[in-house]
Amino acid sequence: MALPPSLRASVTPPELEMIASQQLITVLPSISMDKTVFISGTYGPLVPMRRCQLPLWMAINLKRKRKCRIIPPDWLTIESLQSHLTNETTQPEFSDLPFRFAEISKVLLDVAPDDLENPDRLRSLLKDIREARQAKSREGLDQLDHNELTLLNLCSMEINEIRPFFIRSMDVLTKLQPVKGPAADL
Amino acid sequence: MSGPTVGGPSSSGATRVEDEEEIEETPLEQLTRHWMNERHAPDLLPRQEVLLASLLDHIHRQTNIINTLRSDPRSSEDEHLRIMLVQTEIERVKFMVNSYTRTRLFKIEKYARFIVTDEFMQTRLTAGELNHATRFAAMTDRHFRMSVLQSLPEPQSHLDDEPIFMPSMITQPDKTKPVFVRARRHCPPIRLKDGTALEMSKGHISLLPFDVVEDLILRGDVELV
Repeated sequence: MALPPSLRASVTPPELEMIASQQLITVLPSISMDKTVFISGTYGPLVPMRRCQLPLWMAINLKRKRKCRIIPPDWLTIESLQSHLTNETTQPEFSDLPFRFAEISKVLLDVAPDDLENPDRLRSLLKDIREARQAKSREGLDQLDHNELTLLNLCSMEINEIRPFFIRSMDVLTKLQPVKGPAADL
Repeated sequence: MSGPTVGGPSSSGATRVEDEEEIEETPLEQLTRHWMNERHAPDLLPRQEVLLASLLDHIHRQTNIINTLRSDPRSSEDEHLRIMLVQTEIERVKFMVNSYTRTRLFKIEKYARFIVTDEFMQTRLTAGELNHATRFAAMTDRHFRMSVLQSLPEPQSHLDDEPIFMPSMITQPDKTKPVFVRARRHCPPIRLKDGTALEMSKGHISLLPFDVVEDLILRGDVELV
């Protein structure tokens, strides 16, 4: 029962989504629930129409059953994304979006579009941001050497996307380095 | 008279705390980190027996509570919702434990013949894992011998040749493989392959060869992403 071959090279987007779903998000429940002990922590009590922090997976579960509204995080608004996009297109570096923004925004747009202002506009902004960032990470390949490559503010989904290619490239560059044998030290 | 001896370790302990901001992490967050580290690292990382045991214990306790609540006919509709949420979480944690263990199993089988010859690697395995590695190595050896090697001439019938200009026949972890790391706190400077130093501040993301950052990973200063 070792890890299946398809998962050996890298993690998959659903797995990243699972990790991102452990993060807390604010909800507005429409039901009440006593304080409950979970493995990840203690949540609740839920009181109708009173804001409460729950892990994203739990919020989504309740949302699907129409038992809560999700309050979107600050960065998932049109103004915020618009300013990130402006940064993204005018500045050379990546803008400081949350590390798991891609996973979280996807989950929220899939499950709770009615809790977001103008989901279609958000989708297109996220797509533009993604494309602008993708172009930059490709440029990063220029600076790749056998040594080190700093990728400030790159997010988890983007890392996963460039991983196979960047790792192979760096591996090849490492192998091409002359080996420093005892002779070189003398 | 114990003054000086006590003074030494405690003062160095104090500087340690100042240097490292302690990160509060729940057991589940720890498992998530070790799971991802294990998935990305080319080498087998140290076992996390205590953490795993405590999480499995927690899963067991939650399952027991659920079973008791389920069998109680008085439990209400709201109660069912809670049971469902707790159950969902148990399944999520089980998935992670599974995936973590299977990742290790994959590496153990891949490096089985190296593990049985290397004492340092053995310290990173649990008793169960070591037992599996030993048996797996012995079984594959016997299989190769019975099916092919015994019919070959003596010079070609070994499984541990180290021919020059060729990789060794015993697969070893390739520690030069690059990995993506993210700093969890301010890290002490590390020396890169070209001799320059790199000091990562919290949140810094880098692509580096695994052997350069191995110590930082083991200390928990950085995580693999």
